[in-house]
Amino acid sequence: MTEKITVALAGNPNVGKTSIFNAITGSKQHVGNWPGVTVERKMGKRVHNDVEMEIVDLPGTYSLTAYSLDEIIARDFIIEEKPHIVIQVIDATNLERNLYLTTQLMELGAKLVIALNMTDLALAKGDSIDISKMQEYLEVPVISTVGSRGGGIEGLLDAVTDELRKTRPTENIFTYDAGIEKRSGEIETILNSDPYFAHYPARWFSMKLLEGDESIIKKAVESDRYPEIREVLDKTDAYSLESRIADQRYRTIQTMLRQVCNINTNRLSGSDMVDRVVTNKYLGIPIFLSFMWAAFELTFSFATPFMNMIDVFFGWLAEAAANAISIPWLASLVGEGIIAGVGSVVIFLPNILLLFFMISLMEDSGYMARAAFIMDKVMSRTGLHGKSFIPLVMGFGCNVPAIMATRTIEDSRDRLVTILVAPFISCGARLPVYVLLAGTFFGRDAGLVIFGLYALGILVALLSARLMRSTVIRGEDTPFIMELPSYKLPTLKGSAIHMWERGKIYLKKAGSIILVGVVGVWLLASIPAPGSGGTFASGEIYGTTNSVIGFTGQLIEPLVAPLGFDWRIAVALVFGVVAKEIVVGSMGVLYGAGEDEESLSNILAAGAMTPLAGLGLMVFTLLYVPCFACIGVIKRETGSWKWTLFQLLYGTTLAWMLAFLVFQVGSRTGLLA
Amino acid sequence: MKQDYGNREMIFAALSGALYTIFGIFQIAEGFGINTGMPEMIFIPGDIPGGSCLMVLGAVFLYGLKEMLQGINAGVSFVYVGILMSLVFMAVYLLVMGGNMLDSIIVPEDYEGWNIMEAFRPGIYLGFLPLMGMLCWKDRFSLHEVLVFREGA
Repeated sequence: MTEKITVALAGNPNVGKTSIFNAITGSKQHVGNWPGVTVERKMGKRVHNDVEMEIVDLPGTYSLTAYSLDEIIARDFIIEEKPHIVIQVIDATNLERNLYLTTQLMELGAKLVIALNMTDLALAKGDSIDISKMQEYLEVPVISTVGSRGGGIEGLLDAVTDELRKTRPTENIFTYDAGIEKRSGEIETILNSDPYFAHYPARWFSMKLLEGDESIIKKAVESDRYPEIREVLDKTDAYSLESRIADQRYRTIQTMLRQVCNINTNRLSGSDMVDRVVTNKYLGIPIFLSFMWAAFELTFSFATPFMNMIDVFFGWLAEAAANAISIPWLASLVGEGIIAGVGSVVIFLPNILLLFFMISLMEDSGYMARAAFIMDKVMSRTGLHGKSFIPLVMGFGCNVPAIMATRTIEDSRDRLVTILVAPFISCGARLPVYVLLAGTFFGRDAGLVIFGLYALGILVALLSARLMRSTVIRGEDTPFIMELPSYKLPTLKGSAIHMWERGKIYLKKAGSIILVGVVGVWLLASIPAPGSGGTFASGEIYGTTNSVIGFTGQLIEPLVAPLGFDWRIAVALVFGVVAKEIVVGSMGVLYGAGEDEESLSNILAAGAMTPLAGLGLMVFTLLYVPCFACIGVIKRETGSWKWTLFQLLYGTTLAWMLAFLVFQVGSRTGLLA
Repeated sequence: MKQDYGNREMIFAALSGALYTIFGIFQIAEGFGINTGMPEMIFIPGDIPGGSCLMVLGAVFLYGLKEMLQGINAGVSFVYVGILMSLVFMAVYLLVMGGNMLDSIIVPEDYEGWNIMEAFRPGIYLGFLPLMGMLCWKDRFSLHEVLVFREGA
């Protein structure tokens, strides 16, 4: 009969855990969420040596402290679910950092099997690792693997089934100095005498208490014996003890490493050489900015012919629909509402896909982690954490995953500030507005203007972070520690998959929320305003001041008139809160241009809008209230309506002020006249 | 102590560094409206960010030259990485040029009087020098092999 077991896959980020998981489970995978949170939980199945294994991929963590959500999920799974085996994937090119997690997994009493991954890269770097000695020293099976090629997977699974039948515990491998051992012993005695603690490994629990781990202390408070524990803890200083414990763990690791491997520090691999250049203190930031500019140049220039192809297609479709439908209002709904609205969004798909492709190339190659490293100095000056950089860069694609990605930031204040400023990073949905207006008013300098808007978004995010850290969200800065993964040559297929996964969301949005939004705009633009007396969807009503939309737009027009916007823009901006992509579609409807971006551009250039108002509109779109999905995720991630409202008010006020400055100062100085 | 670079690498770094920097300066100057007389001769457009990128590439080569002149063995990294970066920019400009060509076929009315050479940027023709460098030192372009020694072997 087949035995069923659970195997947890643990490890530091970027050690090839996903490739090992894929190599083990093949296509038998399913994705869900960890209970109570929206961190992705990947599971898969594999039968080996008559054992059915359910493989659970734990979030990548550097340690098992309670500093981040990922760490809490990983350790709670091991403690509460008690998997039969934990496979720790270790990067053979960076043993010291990876073995720190090993020490913690051992203390947890987990039955451990080590997958020593990327051994091919370690060999190529000139490192030599004596695996049998390492196994002997750690007293756990160590299997050499090359996850990217599926090498060593059978051996790894053999080790899992062998380990399953062993009874030897791996707890209490590391010993600390006499002072720590004495206190730990005292606490362990108390823990062992209280059945409440029976569920937890006593050694690990006592070490965590000594380290001052807040979530463990919370658990201990529930026990009747807590006063005795507190008495022992009061004799120690948790802060200094935590660093002493970490120090001694590293010392043990270094002692072991000296015996089991020979790491070549004098040799430079290609990866090291690239790092010497791209992380250079003088050239690092200019190189990063050059790459970003190249990515934008390609995104906007190379995408143009493909945009024109889509434009031609939707033009043909709208005409065909208008000819085929004899009922005027239905022809208007299909042609001017649905096709025009959706077409005006889909037309920007080439830009979005190319931008995502560039971001994927940077992420997959490992460059993005370097970018975070070189930007840390700039970030910390503005009150943001180095780790805030990657979520902010992700914001160029979409602010929703960017805000969710802030979960990797341990400090709650750093995280809150990052969440609040992330919507200022210009997402792909704002791009259609820029492409339309910059193309209309700035011709061949459109790319430069758009680059400037992205730069403005970054600047506003950084300055706002500084302002918030020195006023409403004060606190100490936390140090930046991040492991730089080895460079990998990104594959065209891998980057294309990433690009499509994200681009698909944009397309889905065009077919769902945007479709509903544009039909809503059409409907409001077709219904006669109270007292106007026209016919539904007729020429004299549609998109004019005689429609409900026009009537409403005129009511709110005074709010945006100082920015040079008319009632049509006011309405388009209100609809933009549903999804930013709708702004252009709404403008198409309200200016009577339909789906044809060129017609809309011609109407605007002919005097419907001034270049200054166009520039102000781009600035306003960049900074004002984010879309519904983004508002929802800000609320969920901050857990507070207060901070969510703060973001909306702060952003919109800033947007209004900057657009006002652009228009008023520009008008008075004759700029762009 | 054996060095991992020689005169060839140093001359290459000096030449590439100087060319990229000079062309970058011209491009920026044109961008500011200063007539250098170069656009007609060697297709240098007025492009401030594009010119800044060329200057960054030039700076990478020149920084490598500086380190090699100081006897720092790993300074040659800047030459190899500079070659890779130049080729990335060459590819970007070629794609932009291809995009413009394709667009001129789809919407010819927007491209009346346009000439393909308008899209022929310095980033393309300067890229032939790094391309030669790449062919010359092709065994040095591996991510994970040991390529040089920090202190010299």
